[in-house]
Amino acid sequence: MSSYHEFFCPVKILCGEKALEHIPIELNMLAANRPLIITDPGVRAAGLIDHVLNAFRESNITIGSIFDQTPQDSSLQIIKQVAGIYSATNCNAIIAIGGGSALDTAKGVNILVSEKADDLMKLAGAGILKRALKPFIAIPTTAGTGSEVTSVAVIADPDQNRKIPFVSHFLLPNVAVLDARMTLSLPSQMTAATAMDALTHAVEAYTCLGKNPLSDAYSFAAIKMISGNLFNVLQKPNDKSGRLALATAATYAGISFSNSMVGMVHALGHSVGALCHVPHGAAMSILLPYVLEYNLAKGNKDYQTYVGELLLALAGSEKYAKIPPEQRAAESVVFITEMKNELFRQTGLPRTLKETGKVLQEIIPEIAKISVGDPSSIYNPVEVDYEDALTVLNRAYEIQ
Amino acid sequence: MFVFPVNFKLIMERFPMTTNLTNRGVAPGKKAFKKIYVAVLMFFVGRALAAASKVDSGMKKELAELPDQFSFKLQVLPAGPSLTVGKNEQSRFKHYVRSIPEDKIDVRIMIKHLDAAFLLFTFQESTARSFASDRMIVKGDLTQAISVVRCLNIVEVYLLPKFIARLAVKRYPDWPFFRKVWRRSLIYTRTVLGV
Repeated sequence: MSSYHEFFCPVKILCGEKALEHIPIELNMLAANRPLIITDPGVRAAGLIDHVLNAFRESNITIGSIFDQTPQDSSLQIIKQVAGIYSATNCNAIIAIGGGSALDTAKGVNILVSEKADDLMKLAGAGILKRALKPFIAIPTTAGTGSEVTSVAVIADPDQNRKIPFVSHFLLPNVAVLDARMTLSLPSQMTAATAMDALTHAVEAYTCLGKNPLSDAYSFAAIKMISGNLFNVLQKPNDKSGRLALATAATYAGISFSNSMVGMVHALGHSVGALCHVPHGAAMSILLPYVLEYNLAKGNKDYQTYVGELLLALAGSEKYAKIPPEQRAAESVVFITEMKNELFRQTGLPRTLKETGKVLQEIIPEIAKISVGDPSSIYNPVEVDYEDALTVLNRAYEIQ
Repeated sequence: MFVFPVNFKLIMERFPMTTNLTNRGVAPGKKAFKKIYVAVLMFFVGRALAAASKVDSGMKKELAELPDQFSFKLQVLPAGPSLTVGKNEQSRFKHYVRSIPEDKIDVRIMIKHLDAAFLLFTFQESTARSFASDRMIVKGDLTQAISVVRCLNIVEVYLLPKFIARLAVKRYPDWPFFRKVWRRSLIYTRTVLGV
């Protein structure tokens, strides 16, 4: 066990049947009655926002405004624009509906409107915010990023072609709402990508330097739920129970990594996303087994033990008991690789950087250079320098 | 309901020690040895950063990526020892013996309490482990903060014997003989003399 750790998750989680209908009372308890809804075109097109609007019927809440143009990558310019809408429409709360991008956009907007600032960059970094922000409710529509329970927002700076992290406990939403209706229509490839994102969060949180018993418990539960439900949901997309399990797993994984951090997969994946615009979940899925292999080769016995323990959550007790302890870590990596291959077969989720069609081999040195500066690398149990990053990226480029 | 009358005046007369405790707060004590130890080590680490930035290629590479007039402060909360280092016009580190204005500091790494700093500077915990264990608060650009940590790792490898440096860093580097011995001698000399 780590000699010292901290664990903090004050987010109220509303999970299950008719969870959305609890939002008005939660807003009342936060002394808010005029929320701004932030979402993206995909959520609007899928009709998901109607579930939320219906939940406000017979309540005393008036929606101040709806912004539904959040792009795939949250950016400084969009955040400034939305903050202007918040002020102009006299809103006093924020409801974010969507994936990581919509949620991160909402967090960025909340910083600007609460601090009454107009330059988000001045508030970038960790520990800059000093007080609570406006009431904020997060409704994820993917079962992936866990952004509804994390104290991190990652915002793109298109001018400098990089992603900027904002870290503060004040970024945590007041409430996270998990309702199966919000993920029922998620297309199969996105279901797979976001589930692998959640799996990566849970695996990295379980194996990185910041791991602690509480985050381990959440990680383990998340991994078990993902491996037990993902392929069922891909076969039966309307399985509400399975969808809710994946959404819950993503939230648990978010709680876990928010309290233990992540490592090399995210350090590389952020850079792949920033430079090549590969969706985050796809990048995580591609890089996870290669980073585990690399860390196992260079890491210590403890790391091998942790990765070995994951096999219990991934494959179940029968398989776990059959594999000798010294082989379990390698078997965990094989299991994850097989998951990837099966997801490629069923949904077309890329297995390598080359298969994304967005990453050229010539850009890999640039990705490696940027990834070394990613804050996640400090939490990786194995040192990550330029050569290490290059090695893993080249391995992940195409099937060897 | 019957309430016993309590004669507080009598209690205060009979038990003066108790009244002293209730009337006065408890002032925080001192940890003089740990404070002095951490302060001394921070002083030499600051000098060593400046020295290493003049001779080590790895450190120069890190400095090249940092913005001009970049500065950082490593401090022990609430008002413990601190170390302030900045990047000068020659793209080298400069150790500020006195602190510089707070608005000029780009990255602050604040160790939450003196004992956490003592664990760090007695190498019972590595910098990475200290970060991961939430013993520090970082304010400012995180990418720059990571660069600072890498510079501190380089200095620790130079200053400490291998068996101690291995506790301080995640991976003890495999440097060529010249870098290890010759540059170490230069850095030691510059650190002691402050040049």
